[in-house]
Amino acid sequence: MSHPARHSSMLSLSNSASNLSSSSDKQLSSTQIPTAPPASPGLRVPSNRKTIYDRHLNRSRNGESSRASFAFLFAEMVTYAQRRVTGIQDLEKRLNEQGYPLGLRLLDLLFYRTMSSSSSSSLSSSSTSSSPPHRPLRILPLLHLIHGPLWRLLFTRSADALEHSVSPDTPNEYMITDNDPLVNTYISVPKEMSMLNCAAFVAGIIEGVCDGCGFETKVTAHNQPTEMWPGRTIFLVRFGESVMEREKVLERAGVK
Amino acid sequence: MTSPGDATPVRPPPSFSPGVPRGASKTRYPDERRNSSTPSLDPDLVESRVGSSSPTPPLSATTSELPIRSASPYARSLRSSTPQLARSSLGSPVEGRLDAAEDIRSLIIRSFSPVVGVYASVDTDDLVRQKGFKGGFWELIRPFGENVPGKVVIRDSIGSSRPWEDFGVRFVDLGGSSPTLYDSNTARTSPLAQVEEVLEKQLKSANDPLSGSVRPNDLLNFPSTSPLYKDYLRQLLSIASATPHETFRHPVASIIVISSRNTSPLESLRQLYADTSNGDRRLPEWIHPEYLRYYVLVHDEDQDDIAESTKLYDQMKRHFGLHCHLLRLRSNQCVVTDDDSVQVPECEWLSPAERLSNKSEPLVDLDTDGLPYLFESDVMAIKGFIRELVAQSVIPHMENRVAVWNDQVASRRRGISGRFMSMSRRWAGFGSSSRSSFTSGGGVSGNYDGAHGFYKPDTPEAILRKMADFAFMLRDWKLSASTYELLRSDYGNDKAWKYHAGAHEMCAVSMLLNPLAMPAKTKREDVDQMIETACYSYLTRCSDGPDGLRCLTLALELLKARGGSAIESATRWAMRAIDLGLVGPVGQGLLSDRISVCYASRNAIPGVRWGTRRRKAGMWSVLAADLWLRLGMPALASASLEEAERLYADVLEGDGVFLMPDMQTFIDNLRHAVKVEYLEARGLDTSDETIIADPLGTEETSEQLDKRMNRRSLIASPLDSAGLIAAQVTRDDDNPADDDFERA
Amino acid sequence: MSYYFTILSPTDVPLFNLAFGTSKSGGDGIARFRFPDTAQYMNQFIIHSSLDIVEEAQWMNSNMYLKHIDTYPPASSYISAFLTPSGARFLLLHQPPQLPSTTDRTGSGGTGTGSSSLLASSFSGGVGSTRASSSSVAANPTSPQTEEAVRQFMTEVYENYVKTVMSPFYRQGMEIKSPVFRGKVSAAGRKWL
Repeated sequence: MSHPARHSSMLSLSNSASNLSSSSDKQLSSTQIPTAPPASPGLRVPSNRKTIYDRHLNRSRNGESSRASFAFLFAEMVTYAQRRVTGIQDLEKRLNEQGYPLGLRLLDLLFYRTMSSSSSSSLSSSSTSSSPPHRPLRILPLLHLIHGPLWRLLFTRSADALEHSVSPDTPNEYMITDNDPLVNTYISVPKEMSMLNCAAFVAGIIEGVCDGCGFETKVTAHNQPTEMWPGRTIFLVRFGESVMEREKVLERAGVK
Repeated sequence: MTSPGDATPVRPPPSFSPGVPRGASKTRYPDERRNSSTPSLDPDLVESRVGSSSPTPPLSATTSELPIRSASPYARSLRSSTPQLARSSLGSPVEGRLDAAEDIRSLIIRSFSPVVGVYASVDTDDLVRQKGFKGGFWELIRPFGENVPGKVVIRDSIGSSRPWEDFGVRFVDLGGSSPTLYDSNTARTSPLAQVEEVLEKQLKSANDPLSGSVRPNDLLNFPSTSPLYKDYLRQLLSIASATPHETFRHPVASIIVISSRNTSPLESLRQLYADTSNGDRRLPEWIHPEYLRYYVLVHDEDQDDIAESTKLYDQMKRHFGLHCHLLRLRSNQCVVTDDDSVQVPECEWLSPAERLSNKSEPLVDLDTDGLPYLFESDVMAIKGFIRELVAQSVIPHMENRVAVWNDQVASRRRGISGRFMSMSRRWAGFGSSSRSSFTSGGGVSGNYDGAHGFYKPDTPEAILRKMADFAFMLRDWKLSASTYELLRSDYGNDKAWKYHAGAHEMCAVSMLLNPLAMPAKTKREDVDQMIETACYSYLTRCSDGPDGLRCLTLALELLKARGGSAIESATRWAMRAIDLGLVGPVGQGLLSDRISVCYASRNAIPGVRWGTRRRKAGMWSVLAADLWLRLGMPALASASLEEAERLYADVLEGDGVFLMPDMQTFIDNLRHAVKVEYLEARGLDTSDETIIADPLGTEETSEQLDKRMNRRSLIASPLDSAGLIAAQVTRDDDNPADDDFERA
Repeated sequence: MSYYFTILSPTDVPLFNLAFGTSKSGGDGIARFRFPDTAQYMNQFIIHSSLDIVEEAQWMNSNMYLKHIDTYPPASSYISAFLTPSGARFLLLHQPPQLPSTTDRTGSGGTGTGSSSLLASSFSGGVGSTRASSSSVAANPTSPQTEEAVRQFMTEVYENYVKTVMSPFYRQGMEIKSPVFRGKVSAAGRKWL
């Protein structure tokens, strides 16, 4: 409350946080996120009578948003999330929460686009390129979906690696690697916060996608710098007990 | 924001019973049961319980019937578990009854017991009447035949033996004024209507507030099979009388009885035999005339000399062979006060018509149950006689007949030549005409008497059917299934539709009863197809409602017993029975409850959430509750509704609110209606209600009022309130990030 | 053919309801269910009960359109399901109009049943069903043509649903109140069913 002006601007940001993030964070797509309020009774309808339902969802699929504006926006999001946090974990949690609803939405959009244009292969998952997309039922197809189509939708390229935990104690852990996460490009983390990885936002998106598909998950982002890729980030995907149980049942039932 | 969920943390119980604290009601249950049902009675016989009066005063009995839930908010966590607790304490352990599925299976198997005719001389009947049995010798031994004491060993066609605990025979009277064998169906009303009538009477007496002894939870005892439903099933399976198209009710044997009072015993025996083979007691011509004859001499222990009787008995054995028995009975009447008096068990398998005619008696003298007493020595003698009759004569006879027919008729039919024969039968008209003509005319064997509608008993078709039925009654379901299988097409070719239906029905039933052949999916489709065909033939071609319903009900129960995905088929047949209008209102209620039980019996696949049919089960319980309410049976409605609540509890995690507004409205209204009618039926006027409800119910009522306001809003604008619910849910689910931020 | 369309959230919260009749072959687009007006809750019961099957089919079939998954024979109600990847369920209950001939069937049994509006199909639903009875899609609820029509309908609804979901003011699990959305779904119903 000490900075009223700032605060109000933040508020407006927060209201449409998911909107902004969804339109901004990726280079392509989704810039068509409606500027008009969703038509619900009592709310105004745009003067040109064009509601969100009259716009085509694919029109913006090949449009890219400016990297500069995204960088600015993401920086603001991080700043916002940082307000009165108790620690790094808390900050990452907030970034994660910002990403989560985005994941849910992207999932539906991804499938819609795959369905409506089976011819253009950019979105179709690597394994199945036929027209009706399949909902992932098992862990691997889900991870492939994230690793391939989702990453391409967000960052115009696939993720760099997908690994399964080798430890027998943690069969429920998978790792998705991004050597140079786009979200971190213009972020410099101070030394005292070296543990922080702002790609927690992307982890939130992944979590949203998994949850939407019915896979209870916790996803976290970790720094794993190498010589070549100082910004290398690993997204640790930990599936819940129920998912692993189901996995066994589905395996027995022969579901792919 | 006040959302419906906030306002009503506790659902009002569907069954509400004012006044008695929960703890008391729980402990009271088993006690009461033990008090009211005499241990010697078959626990399953509902009307015996209807008849017996409870020692507890009516009002307290009624109030304690239903599990009570207080309206305090922390009762929420207990809510879903309470009913189960109450019921499990109520349920089977007290009476040590069999596991429910086995129980029904045994019931079905026992309903197809061999029939033994009883033809007693006049002097024998006189002797027995002296003992207090108005119906004569038949009535005396009838209840004992239904369960042969001890294990009975049966050998199947491959020669392996298996002991059975629950084997029984059905005695029918061949003499007497009311032959019970084959014309019980000439009654004024159809048997299905009679079943319905019996049930209604039963329910009415149960529902009578003053009798107060029958608890609706007993009648609809959910976790296992409700006794009421079992009783319904038993009646349905008792309808059948002897008909040409199946031989289950044809006598396998007949016992010819004289007593030691007879002055010319051997002549009497010959005369009785003559009566049954070609005299006026002859059976209809479609019943195979060659069945086992068994000769019994009843010795009067109180008046006659045993030496004389033994001499006579030896003479009988010389003349008639080994199938003889000397039965030593006392001729004096036994009364309760005698030292060694034993109450005669009640007949389990009474046809609906008999039940209707007997009904008045047990209702009049409530205390004695209307059942006569016998000396223990008599009971022992009768049990020994029946055991010997069954184990040493009837079963060997049947085994022998099956072996002979299997050898002489079936194997020929099964073998190459038989196949050829059936081929040639089928293709007899080939060349002369088109396909339609030879299916209609060419395949006909000529053995079927279309005008009278039966095969003569000595034709291969009739013998095969008899053999299959024998094998079925001997529980050799593999053999019976394969034999019915042989017959199915033959009957179809001959347009013997009732035979056709019967063969399909029993073929399916045999396959389902055969414990070894766990049918794969394809096989179950076969079974479904056969039941479909049987139903069509019974109902559409023959307008035979009772048999059609029997077929559907057997399919329902046996498929249910199979479990797993067979449940889907089971419920389908039950719905069919309702849909075809084969059952009356009471039957509809029972079947709806049964469908619910079927669905509820489907378990989740271990490890995952899906695989149950809880929602379907819940829906059918609600529908049943609605039906019971319309029939004016609020107690049953309340039990069904409570069951629905239990079933839905898992689905509606948390606050138990139906997310679909119309459903919630309907269930709320139903609850209210059940409550009102329930109280009215108990004769409580409003002032009573408030008095009883007050001590505990103040909180509850206020909450109900709250809820009703919400409900009104639901009615006014369903979508809006759904929005409230939805909004509330989302608020619970994912806390919007922005709020969090500013607060932190 | 009468239709009852529902969108349910993954946690069974109803997000959207619409009842409509066929518009094919001269149908007037008004739903005429076999239940009396006082028993319209039956549609919700039937839909709700079919969730048991949906939950099972959901993990056995990875398609979004699961086709016809459940039937409620007493009211000849057929349920088709469509699952969005994010777990929302589109359920369409379709009920063919009652043909006059089917009403005779119940009479054949031994005891006539008191016509129960809930269970027996003997309910006299003849009101106005004559006009809609000859519609093409309605002929057989499980025919390939019907499946295809329902699939088209579902796909079109899905498009609009995605648009709704993309709105920043929509959160998952919220009821869809937009009249435009309602209009779009009705239009899809008219177009395909």
